[in-house]
Amino acid sequence: MTTTTLNKAGDAPAGNAGFARLSATLFNEFSWIWGGLFALFLICSVVAPGVVRPAALSSLLPFAAILAITAVGMTVVIQQRGLDMSLPGTMTIAGLLFAKIGFMTGSTLLAVPLTLLIALGIGIVNGLLVAKVNITPIVVTLATNAILMGAVRAVSGGSPMTAPAELAEFSHSKLFGVPMTLVLALLFILVISVVTKRSIAGRRFVAVGQNPAAATAAGIPILRYQVATYAVAALCFAVAGMLFTGFIGSASQTAGIDYLLPAIAAVVVGGTPFSGGRGSVIASGAAALFMALLGQMVLAFGAETSVQLLVQAGAIIVAVSVRHLPDLLRWIARG
Amino acid sequence: MSSARKLLEMRGVSKHFPGVRALHDITFDVYAGEVHGLVGENGAGKSTLMGVASGALVATEGEVHIDSDPMSGDPDRARELGLAIVRQEPALMPDLSVAENLFLGMPHAKRPSLSALNTWARGLLKHWSEDVTIDPRDHVSTLNPEQRFIVEIVKALECEPKVLVLDEPTEHLASEDVERLFERVRAVTARGAAVIYISHRIREVQAIANRLTVLRDGEGQGTFDARNMSEDQIVSLIVGGDLDRTFPAKASEASTRTVLSTRGFSGPGFSNVNLDIRAGEILGLAGIDANGQREFMRALAGIHRGSGDVTLLGKPISIRNSQGAKRHGIAYLPGDRHREGIFPELSIRENFSIRSPQEDAALGLIRSGSEQRRTVDAIRQFAVKTPHGETPIQSLSGGNQQKVVLSSVLAAKPQVLLVDEPTQGVDVGARAEIYRSIRETARSGVAVIVVSSDAQEVAGLSDHVAIFSRGRVVDMLSGDDVTEDRITSSVLKSTEQRDRHHRPVAAFWKWAASNSAPLVMVAAAILFLGAVAGMWNPFYLSPRSLTGMMTFAATLALVAYGQQFLMMVSGIDLSVGPTMGLCQVVGSFFLLQELGPGSHVAGWVLLLLVAMAVGVVNWILVEGLRMHPMVATLATFMAVQAISLILRPVPGGMIDGDVMMALSMKVGIVPVTFIAAVLLALVLEFWLYRREMGVSMRGLGSRQEAARTAGIRPKLARFVAYVGCSFLAGLAAITMIAQVGIGDPRAGLTYTLGSIAAVVIGGASLFGGRGSFVGALLGAIFITQVNSVTVFLRLSQEWQQYLLGFLILASVALYSKSREKVVQA
Repeated sequence: MTTTTLNKAGDAPAGNAGFARLSATLFNEFSWIWGGLFALFLICSVVAPGVVRPAALSSLLPFAAILAITAVGMTVVIQQRGLDMSLPGTMTIAGLLFAKIGFMTGSTLLAVPLTLLIALGIGIVNGLLVAKVNITPIVVTLATNAILMGAVRAVSGGSPMTAPAELAEFSHSKLFGVPMTLVLALLFILVISVVTKRSIAGRRFVAVGQNPAAATAAGIPILRYQVATYAVAALCFAVAGMLFTGFIGSASQTAGIDYLLPAIAAVVVGGTPFSGGRGSVIASGAAALFMALLGQMVLAFGAETSVQLLVQAGAIIVAVSVRHLPDLLRWIARG
Repeated sequence: MSSARKLLEMRGVSKHFPGVRALHDITFDVYAGEVHGLVGENGAGKSTLMGVASGALVATEGEVHIDSDPMSGDPDRARELGLAIVRQEPALMPDLSVAENLFLGMPHAKRPSLSALNTWARGLLKHWSEDVTIDPRDHVSTLNPEQRFIVEIVKALECEPKVLVLDEPTEHLASEDVERLFERVRAVTARGAAVIYISHRIREVQAIANRLTVLRDGEGQGTFDARNMSEDQIVSLIVGGDLDRTFPAKASEASTRTVLSTRGFSGPGFSNVNLDIRAGEILGLAGIDANGQREFMRALAGIHRGSGDVTLLGKPISIRNSQGAKRHGIAYLPGDRHREGIFPELSIRENFSIRSPQEDAALGLIRSGSEQRRTVDAIRQFAVKTPHGETPIQSLSGGNQQKVVLSSVLAAKPQVLLVDEPTQGVDVGARAEIYRSIRETARSGVAVIVVSSDAQEVAGLSDHVAIFSRGRVVDMLSGDDVTEDRITSSVLKSTEQRDRHHRPVAAFWKWAASNSAPLVMVAAAILFLGAVAGMWNPFYLSPRSLTGMMTFAATLALVAYGQQFLMMVSGIDLSVGPTMGLCQVVGSFFLLQELGPGSHVAGWVLLLLVAMAVGVVNWILVEGLRMHPMVATLATFMAVQAISLILRPVPGGMIDGDVMMALSMKVGIVPVTFIAAVLLALVLEFWLYRREMGVSMRGLGSRQEAARTAGIRPKLARFVAYVGCSFLAGLAAITMIAQVGIGDPRAGLTYTLGSIAAVVIGGASLFGGRGSFVGALLGAIFITQVNSVTVFLRLSQEWQQYLLGFLILASVALYSKSREKVVQA
């Protein structure tokens, strides 16, 4: 099978490396989502034009942006062949802690770094348990999620807390007419994308995810990267949690629960594989918008949220299948 | 001899790999009653030839007959026809016991009853040696290489093959076991079967073989009567008269500047090595595999930990890890390219620049222009055959991959270059280029160490050669002495046997790693927690409280069995929770008081059918669409939940009171559902350990390739696992009906996480092969207990979750640690 790919590639004009690089950047498994997003916009504008009106979009975008930030965090973990099931706990506790610290100290400026610091700690614990103690990521993060949900109950005392006014204001604010949540999401996507694709640390991160043994042999300290992965993810979840709290105006005890499945779904639809290493936070971000838009479209038809869930499940299956169409045909042919 | 029956006949066999001609027109016969030696250097084609004979490879040309029956590329057929092969790295399933491995290794007709399995296995091992130290109950993962090899040989001998292939059988054996092996080999030929004996060690082959065939570079050098040949004659046939490979000129003058030196350097597999490597020179390390040369190099590369003095340019250094080695300018080209050399899905560019990204970096960011330029230069300089640098490295041929890795290692501008097997799996054309690059690197002042199992390569490349045996340097060749003959004879004539080595493991860890340890520990924890809670609050042990706990435990246990079933074959099902909800919702349309018994029957049937349909869908997604099990079952999680919500947007449909009564029946204080769950655990456990299919399932989860060799069909087994998992979730849903009493689409959701928690606390491994249904039951009881105990202990509610989280982490950390400890390298 390796020879066929080589031959196919051999048909391209040799030596035209710049072009090859460009086309590899533009057309790969991560570009499907752009086609999908474009098609969805077209379909929406025909069958449910209400969904793509500016007013509707601007009410959709903040939630899509929060989903995109969680999806970014999930993407980096999946690039390390893991899965972070502690998203609900981290996101919820971050929203609560932020509100609590904000009210206790009366200072949002203090509450933000403190909350992020705690999230960093959560991520580092996850990372160490996965990389150092050698426990399967899903088990580690399920367990830490349970502990975090316990902490949520302890912190909240069982009732939601009002978000500090400053945060609510910030979450609803706009920068040059763009919702602040979206600005932050784009910032996250941009920074993490540049870091993973263009920085030395990012290259090593990708290498560790793709083949840890080879990374070790190449002199890369893999533990550091594996732990940092979970730390970055926890930071993403925490920021999403704070924004969500600000946006809905109160810190609930269930804020993160509804984001776990959509976040994983967005990563899968975006095209980041579970084989480790390769991945695209940009595609995950686009997929987050895709999923949010798809949901809106379904709702516009007057369907229940349940149908929305069904359509999302279908999107995952379709997204995976289109990338495996050749394999699939071969499998069917063989019986 | 010629009157005897030909048991294996290979006529005009050629085998081509892309770019490599591995075998050319080989004719090879084996007669009944003979031992046929097959000798040649690494890469001469011995393993390829046996691959063709055993059906693992398909010959490009030529034909193979086993006992007069034609066979081509079909391992099962080859096995049926009576060919058995014992490989250097045994095809055993690490999480199964020795006895179970022997059991699955037998053809169906020879398999004993599983109830007397250990006695049977002990008998088999006794055939090998009366004082055999292998306990048939031990997990194969706890055996050392020697013991694993003995198990493999015992397995092959017991199948009574017509043709037995032994590939380097004495590498791992101690001397008395070599004698034992020879006795067995003679016994095999005495009953009229044939043995093909592949070895590096010429003296051994001469001692045991009747005839021998020499291979060199994929071509037969003739078949000879073993006793009429002298050792030197054989060596010269193996090496060949003329050198048909071109090596670059060696260092012209002796260098004086020592770059790296080791004194009393020891580590795993080598001890007390004193070597000096000078600038501009190549030091070759030769020896039979696993005699310490490779381990020595890996310690220098920082992959293993070594002890002793290492000095670099006169300064003592300590190499703590591979990062430290790299910082000191020690670069390593790994021998196992697929495992340690390449990042398969990444492009040539990324594979090239990963070892020297700082060359392209400005302000911490990589400038793509510079990276691009360096990649293009490297591709050109090393003549890598590829259209451009964006091709994934896995689509290149072995030689081109190796050139990319070498160029990447060199781009880091090392002071010391460590090269392990420079040309393994590399075609002849690329070899010369790789040799030239290594020599040029040396000429530029880098100290180079090369390990190779190919003596010709070591001779052609090196200025000095150190011969390793049993972890020590036993000989040092320099100047004119560096010839293939000298190296080969020095290596081959060493008939030293290996020491027995077995890393001692503390009894506690050994016990903790066993199958039963999690059961004992969780059971003890349940009793402890129960006793504490009972003392604190006597009401905890009241019948009412116990009945309640058992009711909940039964439901969790049933769904946990499903999860365990699937995890046994390395799967996971996130959709079990919604599946339980859906089953219950389906039931809520049929199991109503106003509807007749006919509708009730339809309801029960439909409920279980729905569950199994989810399992079938999961299996199709995983097996057909090649989806990751977690992604696939996540998609079904969402879809199934959606269907439940569509059917019952809000809870509704009161279940018939009689059904509820029946489901909550009790015997004394024990709910019937709990009794059923306990019985089911015992039945499934019996099936898992005492039924052929159960053992096969565990084998499949433990190592798929080995299981396939043992005749297990992975697709079918996984189908059974996925459908079985969902079916058990359906049973769990039935017991849940009595607790919920109404069609609630969200009733099952918490069971996904609960079931995973229960099985991992019960000792299951997410990688498959390990686990227990009794463990899952105990895990389920424990979780239910933790959930309720907080109330009785008057702890605030969050403790429920704290306890659950910490207990999962603690138990899994303990299992993971203990299983790591007992694994023998």
